[in-house]
Amino acid sequence: MGNLLAKKPKITEVDRAILSLKTQRRKLGQYQQQLEAVIEAEKQAAKDLIRENRKDRALLALKKKKAQEDLLKQVDTWLINVEQQSEINIDDFQKLMDDTEEAKAYQDEINAILGEKLSAEDEEEILAEFEDLETQMAVQDMPEVPTRAESEEQKLNLPDVPTKKPVAADAARDDAEIASEDISTKRRVMEEPLPA
Amino acid sequence: MQKLGDFKLPHFFNYPPYFTLQPVKETREKQIQLWKELILDYCRTQKIFVIKLEEEFPLFSNSVIERTLSHEAREAFLSALVAEGRSEWLDKGRRSCLILWHRIQDWADIIVNFVKDNGFEDSVMTVEEIRSGIESRGTELHGIDRTILMRALKLLEQKGKLAIFKGTSTDDEGIKFSV
Repeated sequence: MGNLLAKKPKITEVDRAILSLKTQRRKLGQYQQQLEAVIEAEKQAAKDLIRENRKDRALLALKKKKAQEDLLKQVDTWLINVEQQSEINIDDFQKLMDDTEEAKAYQDEINAILGEKLSAEDEEEILAEFEDLETQMAVQDMPEVPTRAESEEQKLNLPDVPTKKPVAADAARDDAEIASEDISTKRRVMEEPLPA
Repeated sequence: MQKLGDFKLPHFFNYPPYFTLQPVKETREKQIQLWKELILDYCRTQKIFVIKLEEEFPLFSNSVIERTLSHEAREAFLSALVAEGRSEWLDKGRRSCLILWHRIQDWADIIVNFVKDNGFEDSVMTVEEIRSGIESRGTELHGIDRTILMRALKLLEQKGKLAIFKGTSTDDEGIKFSV
């Protein structure tokens, strides 16, 4: 290339689309790591609370953990989808972006639901998990909390990528602030890792 | 021979006079030369890209002989690296120094080879992918300082080997290669 006026490559719409996708993938990967850290912290918080004999707060920590795990599954699904987009066409890309809008709405929904009472089924599952945790702790084991079976449809529902890091320290502090005799289920049980 | 982790320190590092900026010109020049080489070597092996003069830097003191380089000495050695084109001051106050154990042109060459080796010609990557993606693992590019990377990329852009671009405002910076 002896050309003095070497021209740099032209950028097409497809290039921009790929760039957006790759950005999303990176952010989602980061988010996934953060979620895993929060899940570990919540699990630890639950164990500590059981030791201190605070069943109700331990239950809360487990609820949070469950919510985070579900979110993580969503992120995994999305990541797999993103990675499989090897030959992208504009229509597919547009669909993905539309799905992201849908996911945003879904995320808001989740946040609202978590602030409300969980269904009886959810409560049962959580209590079972909780008892399991107690049993395992009783034999001084490192408990692996059982994951529940996939019952939800695998929609391409995508959580919005957070702009703020979820912080485990907030979780502990929130727990401390909850009065032990009155856990209002209307109160937000999940601090905001995902601003809409 | 003393070591800093895996890094083998040269003999002069254990000799107190070398931690004092030498007044005699000829001696000082030799001293500076030794320190320049040590700093570059150390930064290359440890992948250090920035040295902050006022912070603890392993080479700046030797607790065994109870010596620490004065601020003046640190500045003298780093200035010498700057004069040689192996370093750049990041601020006017000369508190922070970018270390170019590879020159920008060298980094540009490394990037071009990386692109060719992996068949990335005509493809799009993000700046972050070059720095920390799976493809760059095991290469020199992994973990490269962002400032240095951008400089090398801009150099290549001027030569028409790539274009730096952004899609939306939330996107990472993208690179389209044409090497």
